[in-house]
Amino acid sequence: MSKIQFRNISHSYAAESVLKALDLDIEAGKLTCLLGGSGSGKTTILRLIAGLEIAQEGSISIADKTVLENEKNLVASPDRGIAFVFQDLALWPHFTVFQNLAFGLREQKQNNFEVEIKDILSRFSIEDLSEKYPHQLSGGQQQLVAIARALVLKPKILLMDEPLANLDVKLKRKMLDYIKKIKNDFNLSLIYVTHDHKEAFGIADNIVILNEGKVEAQGSVEEIKQSENTFVKYFLEY
Amino acid sequence: MKTNFLYKVTFVLFSVFVLLPILYTLFSVFLEESFLDNLRLINSSTFLLLFRSIAISSLIAFLSTGLGVLLAFLLYKTKLSFRKGFRLLLLIPLFVSPYILAVAWKDVLYLFFENHTFIASYKGLVLILTSIFTPLSILIIGSALSNINSQIEESALLIVSPRTVMFRIILPLIKPALISSFVLVFIFSISEFTVPSYLGVKVFTTEIFTQFSAFYNHALAVIQSALLILISIFLLFSEGKYLSEAAFLSIGTKGNQQKFHELGRFKIVALIFLLAYLFSSVLMPYFMLVFQGMNDLGKAFDLLKPTIFNSVFLALGSSVLIVLVGFIVAYFSVKASKLKKIFDWILLIVFAIPSIILGISFIKFYNQSALSFIYTSYAIIVIAYIGKFTFIASKLISNAIRQVPKSLNEQAILIGISPLKRIRKILIPIIAPSLFVAFVISFIFSFSELSLTMMLYPPGTEIMPIKVFTIMANAPQSLVSAMSLIVFSITLLLIVIFHLVYQKIKNTNV
Repeated sequence: MSKIQFRNISHSYAAESVLKALDLDIEAGKLTCLLGGSGSGKTTILRLIAGLEIAQEGSISIADKTVLENEKNLVASPDRGIAFVFQDLALWPHFTVFQNLAFGLREQKQNNFEVEIKDILSRFSIEDLSEKYPHQLSGGQQQLVAIARALVLKPKILLMDEPLANLDVKLKRKMLDYIKKIKNDFNLSLIYVTHDHKEAFGIADNIVILNEGKVEAQGSVEEIKQSENTFVKYFLEY
Repeated sequence: MKTNFLYKVTFVLFSVFVLLPILYTLFSVFLEESFLDNLRLINSSTFLLLFRSIAISSLIAFLSTGLGVLLAFLLYKTKLSFRKGFRLLLLIPLFVSPYILAVAWKDVLYLFFENHTFIASYKGLVLILTSIFTPLSILIIGSALSNINSQIEESALLIVSPRTVMFRIILPLIKPALISSFVLVFIFSISEFTVPSYLGVKVFTTEIFTQFSAFYNHALAVIQSALLILISIFLLFSEGKYLSEAAFLSIGTKGNQQKFHELGRFKIVALIFLLAYLFSSVLMPYFMLVFQGMNDLGKAFDLLKPTIFNSVFLALGSSVLIVLVGFIVAYFSVKASKLKKIFDWILLIVFAIPSIILGISFIKFYNQSALSFIYTSYAIIVIAYIGKFTFIASKLISNAIRQVPKSLNEQAILIGISPLKRIRKILIPIIAPSLFVAFVISFIFSFSELSLTMMLYPPGTEIMPIKVFTIMANAPQSLVSAMSLIVFSITLLLIVIFHLVYQKIKNTNV
């Protein structure tokens, strides 16, 4: 299990500071929701964990191993045991569902990857979509394929950046149940970004509330609900 | 990183083979002892000719942009029947060598007015070049009109009249496109050599050519060229950002909800106008070539037969290299620092330098014993085409790359796919249609290029446009028309074939 620690992390895009001396601990094996408004730094945290951004200050460690320090990536993205489900799902449009899943496995030179792909597709009940292209799938099916593609590589940490943003309420509820189940079935640390506190309360073990690049509150759902922090109260009210 | 290295190598090669000849030519003339003597040769008649050329080009740019606004509005902002067909057909003059259209127009006016005095005049030049460059204005302005979000117009339509929306909302929003259209058409018109040369109309480019080829006054020709380069660069900077990004050179844009306008009772008038314009700018010149050249078609084909393979092979080789260089530049310029954008600017400036000046630079630089292997082979033409047309290819490709979501690449990074494999397996298949269009446009431009080719073609080689142009001076008009008809038809055939292939690639590229 992979605990994630941010120490004194500062990060900015051009002149705009996004994270300011951030200290954050994310427990291993839990479903942690990063909750906050636009520009609060939620997505940046995911991208830093994945190694897609390099913070200008501070250090990050995953499972007690420092992966970033002093503006240097010490562990490359593919070696961090991480999978990412992007907001736009990032399914390669010219690959079939099978090819989308196989691309990474082939790169890792895994034998029997066909079996693994079949297995994961059947766990999501989408084995019949194997030869379809992303544009031939419904929104919900695309979500499942994106998650299956992330899980087929057996990551220790799954990062999800508002993956349900474009779904209707009914499908969203169904997918949230799926996500909770995935966390337990695959024994993962799951970090889930959202701006919707109701969505977070529905699935999270832990919640981190962010505001302007800083942690305003952190704790279980109950602890967050009872927080006396002014920002948290305001945020949850709306 | 390997890919970064590739970019640096491309930059160095482009600078050495394309930029250096231009700089060498300019500086060698300025550093000559006789520079001041040559400068004195720039007298009032030179400036008079320059101002006349500026006036003519301004008029062409103004007319093309004005017509471009009207036609682009009808083709991109209304739901007129057959508008997609019109869009495609009206672009044809852009892909056919200007001198071919000049021959056609000469035929048209000769048939109706039985003399050449109108066409062999500044008025004729304005008429022909306006018909050639209006499609460029349509392309630029049409792209800008398509990018206006419907809600912007609709929110204005709720409170003011459509006329006010047009003048206070739409036109101000597309101002960069209007200026770019004017600037590009102006630069192309003032750079055009083959049409005024064929018509026998004296303009600044023909004067440069005369000084260089007839009087062998290379220094004066270069000083005159420098004036033209300065004007072009000065104008480019007026809408530099818009032009260097060249958003109008893109295939398929991200879904943008467009507002289409109802024409009501003017629908028929608009259709008649479009048909009349199509007839006069594309169909009539083409059929006139058929009419005038029909009897000499066999003879013309015999003359052109030996040149077809050379021309196709040359254009094919050049366009493959242009797309390769264009892709490398595009790939890096998309995620570029300001420094890397310099390459973009160099490409734009070389693109805007008149072909005849590029030709003079290449002759002066490569006509040395150490470089004669380039000077005496097709390599000099290929290098010149790369210099001239890479800007268009790189913009088509970079605008396609910009539309590929960053996350597709990042997803591949996370699973450890190498940069080259990401390019090969993810990026290239996704932007394949745009790569193909870049190839097609480079091919057609290379295939029909005349000004550069005429100055640089190695002795003893036969290339189609050169053959037509050299025969023009002495052959009967019917033979010239027949040869032009063959070149025009081959170009049209290539456009149709490429269009069909493009549709196939687009349909398989999901």
